[in-house]
Amino acid sequence: MKVLVCVKQVAVLGDEVEFTDDERDVDPDYLDFALNEWDSYATEEALRLVEAAGSGEVVVVSVGDEDMEDGMRRCLAMGADRGIRVEAEGRLDPIQVARALAEVVQSESPDLVFAGVQSSDSVQAATGNALAGLLDLPSVAVVTKIDLGDGKATVNRELEGGLVDVVEVDTPAVITIQTGINEPRYATLRAIKQAEEKEIDMRQAGDLGEPGSRVRKMFVPPKGEGAEMLDGGAAEVAQRIKEIVQEKTA
Amino acid sequence: MTATRDTFAGLETWQIVLWYSLIVLSVAIFVYGCARLFLKYRRGRGHEKIGNRRERAIRVGKVVFTHAWIRRRDPMAGLGHLLVFYGFMVLFAGTAILAFQDDFANPVLSFDFWHGWFYKFYSLFLDLFGAALVVGLTYFAVKRGILRPFRLRYWRPVEPADALKPMPRRYEAGDWIFLGSLFFLALTGFLLESFRIAADNPSFEVWAPVGWAIGQGFRAIGFEDGAAADARAVDWWVHGVFALFWVSSIPFTKAVHMLAGPAGVAVKDDRAGNRLAPLPAGAKAADVGYAFIDSLLPKHLLDLDACTKCGKCHAACPATATGYPLSPRDLVLDLREVAEGSMGNRAALGIAPEFPDHAQILGTIKPETLWSCMQCMACVEICPVGIEHVPIINQMRRALVEKGDMDNQLQQTLETIYTSGNSFGETSRKRGRWTRELDFDVKDIRTSPAEMLWFVGDYASFDPRNQKASQSLARILRRAGVDFGILYGGEKTAGNDVRRVGEEGLYADLAEENVATISGCSFDRIVTSDPHSFNTLKNEYPQFGGEWDVMHHSQLLLELIESGRLRVKKGLGYRVTYHDPCALGRYNGVYDPPRQVLEALGAELVEMPRNRDNSLCCGAGGGRIWMKELKGDDSPRPSELRIDEAVGLGSIDYFVVACPKDVTMYEDAIKTSGHQGEIELRELSELVWESIT
Repeated sequence: MKVLVCVKQVAVLGDEVEFTDDERDVDPDYLDFALNEWDSYATEEALRLVEAAGSGEVVVVSVGDEDMEDGMRRCLAMGADRGIRVEAEGRLDPIQVARALAEVVQSESPDLVFAGVQSSDSVQAATGNALAGLLDLPSVAVVTKIDLGDGKATVNRELEGGLVDVVEVDTPAVITIQTGINEPRYATLRAIKQAEEKEIDMRQAGDLGEPGSRVRKMFVPPKGEGAEMLDGGAAEVAQRIKEIVQEKTA
Repeated sequence: MTATRDTFAGLETWQIVLWYSLIVLSVAIFVYGCARLFLKYRRGRGHEKIGNRRERAIRVGKVVFTHAWIRRRDPMAGLGHLLVFYGFMVLFAGTAILAFQDDFANPVLSFDFWHGWFYKFYSLFLDLFGAALVVGLTYFAVKRGILRPFRLRYWRPVEPADALKPMPRRYEAGDWIFLGSLFFLALTGFLLESFRIAADNPSFEVWAPVGWAIGQGFRAIGFEDGAAADARAVDWWVHGVFALFWVSSIPFTKAVHMLAGPAGVAVKDDRAGNRLAPLPAGAKAADVGYAFIDSLLPKHLLDLDACTKCGKCHAACPATATGYPLSPRDLVLDLREVAEGSMGNRAALGIAPEFPDHAQILGTIKPETLWSCMQCMACVEICPVGIEHVPIINQMRRALVEKGDMDNQLQQTLETIYTSGNSFGETSRKRGRWTRELDFDVKDIRTSPAEMLWFVGDYASFDPRNQKASQSLARILRRAGVDFGILYGGEKTAGNDVRRVGEEGLYADLAEENVATISGCSFDRIVTSDPHSFNTLKNEYPQFGGEWDVMHHSQLLLELIESGRLRVKKGLGYRVTYHDPCALGRYNGVYDPPRQVLEALGAELVEMPRNRDNSLCCGAGGGRIWMKELKGDDSPRPSELRIDEAVGLGSIDYFVVACPKDVTMYEDAIKTSGHQGEIELRELSELVWESIT
């Protein structure tokens, strides 16, 4: 049983934002970094499947520069066996990331490939599905439950309005994992530090091709018309709301 | 007639031989029991250097002979124990003197001193102390049987593990057997004396007034001569054999506290709790914390045996008082059952409840019990035998954290602290934002040297209500001409409570980063308004190479007032009460400076019933502020109980605190306890600012 988990160290925004001079990205001074929330669920799910199987391996894969390894260490501290990082500089779009991941999947031939539904910073929800497309593997997105069978898996897919779609899928498959599928275990800082002894294999990316999309401009949308911000203490605000309601309903 | 008596009067030689054989047997069983205890402690993991042996010896002597720790918060119980203790000790010493005379001085040295005036004083002394023993035991019987205070009842806030369910009944039986056996020893002893007096009526025995009175009573009802002599012969064996049996049972019963109690006092770390132990270098998961009974330090295994079930911790614990599933007493007792049932005397004798060797303790002790602890030190502080509950609980929490066995709210907070360096999840650049409201600039001490480095801490930096108090303090310092600066975005949460949660790796990381940042700054002293940061900076950062002069803002404020750098313009005249923060008071003994400041401001300080070392934790400590609620539905929170207590004093203007977490907890509790409008909260700095402007 071998599960490959694609993980990303994402940027976390504070409530103050400045952009880079070319207006195409956030100034890194205004960012913290953390393991993508969905990816910790994906890692936990992989660990549980391998633990239930009794033997096997969980391999975490990231595409990016050395800073990506912080997130990978966290997964290794949770219990993943080893990591693979495809070295890549600069900003990649999901298609390029999927191309880099596809090479790794082909060389590792895992039984399952997990990715988070989306990354919390760029929120495109595309990498996992693109990867399945490139590899010509079956894929199921937004999964909240996995029952593993022989050569196939029965999975629950989350739909709109609380509906659940139960799907049977042949394995190997690419599955994107939704939050809430489990409770990810805590990685103690001691474990994270000791995870530095675990192997992270660094590979050079092949030709990642042209991106499918490019960022033209990033900005904070202007405040819409018709909104009035009420300042002051609770009593003042309440008084003002009362007046507005009276005006509008008069 | 010479004043003396024959110890073995009327005994055949074979009877004397039998007697000495029984002594040997009794001592052998006693030694076996003690050796097994010792072997049990040796099974503990690791060791802690026990230095300052002279100071420790003096402490044991003081605590044992003055009962300084036993009599606290219950002087009557202290007096009762004092009577029993000295009664028992004098009778024991009397027996030892007699043995010395009979078995060594007389036969070997031909030195016979046990007669005449020595004998008379010996008789008087033993007789009076025997009476003291009986009075003390009677008081204890009344206390247990009739007064029945909360602390002596085995009511539990949490169901024990199945194997331990019968224990409360056995404890009750054990307590009465212990009390009864001592009573029986005293009674048969007095009877022995009285029967002899009734039989022989030696006039000099008036020096044993109690025995004399009873003996004369016997004679008055015609019980004398032969009948009394026969009774004496029987009672001699009853008293003697029972005494030997009793001595041999010491390591196996509640009497073990006579040995383990003073030992616990001897090995107690004066700084238990305020300075926790780092992880061993290169610790693997299995090395972390207390997951198994033999993971405990030997001295912590000893602590378990020292417990007398006096229940002072049970009565002092804020968790127990407010329906959390924790009692420090029950925790210690349950751990003791596991230790005894897996590697102690009970395991050796095969007495249930047995536990497997290398027993897992995290199942027997429920996680919610450990997560209920506020690490407030109320238990450690009041324990008369020096048990270190707080470090023990902390070690067990470390094992829970290692297993990931914690609620997700806490897990998220720890992850937030890991990623953002503070528990609010704010970006570091916002840490100094509160200074923008001031009409002057606060130095960035990373680039501008200053006299004082103010370590602000998370709550005082990020929480809006606390920012007001921080602004007051900044204005005060400026008014007093104190040259100070803050670390702005360079400061990370100090980690005191991260450590108390049991996430030692994260704590070490935070401490190392803060030590590196602070070490790069130029300053004379550190001040903080946060007792939690104060504690860890002062007591724990030295473990990471950060040794500085650290003070709490209440100490600095007092210094500024006393030196005249701050002048009180108007006496405040408010009626106030002051809540001692755990991390300031019990952890560090800083009780007076905040009170002296209030006095200097002209406020009338009215103490709550629980003050100073008996202060009631607000409920936030030990990381509880980051966890889900665990208390029973119908119990008030500790903070609400505290506000009730303050309001109960009558017309108090301000509830004064000197801790940012207290500001948060009590602002909330004033609303939720239904006392809004009756009392208001002020942070110490806010009152100082009011009085100097």
